[in-house]
Amino acid sequence: MLVSIFGSITNQTMKPEKQAWEDLRAHASSRLSAGFADRVLRTAHGPTPEAWRLLRESGARRLRPGFAERVLRAARAAAEMPSFASQLALSAATAAVCLGAVLFFHQRRIDQADEQNLAEWRRIVAFAQEIDTSGP
Amino acid sequence: MESTPPTALADLVRRAQKGDEVAQRELIVSYQHRVAGFVFAMTNRSDYVEDLSQQVFIKMIRALDRLQAPAQFESWLFRLARNTCIDQLRRQKLRRIFLPFGEEHENIPEPAGAVGTEELDALRHALGQLRPQDRALLALVQEGRSHAEIAEVLSTSVAAVKARLHRAREHLREHYQPDHET
Repeated sequence: MLVSIFGSITNQTMKPEKQAWEDLRAHASSRLSAGFADRVLRTAHGPTPEAWRLLRESGARRLRPGFAERVLRAARAAAEMPSFASQLALSAATAAVCLGAVLFFHQRRIDQADEQNLAEWRRIVAFAQEIDTSGP
Repeated sequence: MESTPPTALADLVRRAQKGDEVAQRELIVSYQHRVAGFVFAMTNRSDYVEDLSQQVFIKMIRALDRLQAPAQFESWLFRLARNTCIDQLRRQKLRRIFLPFGEEHENIPEPAGAVGTEELDALRHALGQLRPQDRALLALVQEGRSHAEIAEVLSTSVAAVKARLHRAREHLREHYQPDHET
């Protein structure tokens, strides 16, 4: 009698608990999206060769038709363009010529001024000598 | 992955080195898709692919006469591609320091499915989480480069390449979630 009462009590209490676990499992598994197992496997194994192939193809599709011709044209244009070193050399040569011209004209002006001053001094000396000779 | 027999490739490279435009064009056509795929894997940006690929091939034409061993052409070309991409990513990073508001305009993510499948989006997302050097490593392996060739490209030892590759693969796997939201 006691056993049957205990049995009926445990059955009554276990049944809702079992049900609750089943509900929990059902709720949790409803959270998993379709193809869960495949995705787990894919994640565990990492990207497949197919994914890498798709990546390469996707990159290759970004090139517009006539890519090779465009590259050759750009390479030709780049070859015709003066290099950085030659541009630098031309700039340096231009700067040197300008500096040379400035120094030349500056020197010429100094020489002219010197000549003028010397001529003035010669005139003063000549005038002084003239005064000396024609003294009292 | 299309490939040219080694002797034919070496001949083609020699002709291109002498300035033969037909050979240069053939080299570009043979490798443009692989280089574009490599650039895309490295930068994760569709709008960079054509420009950077063009830069790589212009550098190739200009520096081809300095290539000592024509048989090494492929690894040399992918070294050029790697360095070009890394330079671009560095420049982009520097630009962000000086123009902090540029980032939001520069990194507009392509919506999921805009580029390809869920798997491709996941791979792009995972690659985006890696350092450019690790991306280059994985992309070079995908291009069929051997550990020894990669070691030469990166100026390091084969053992170091293996260790870095192992770490890069682990990181990629950690971030590879095919159901992620881009």
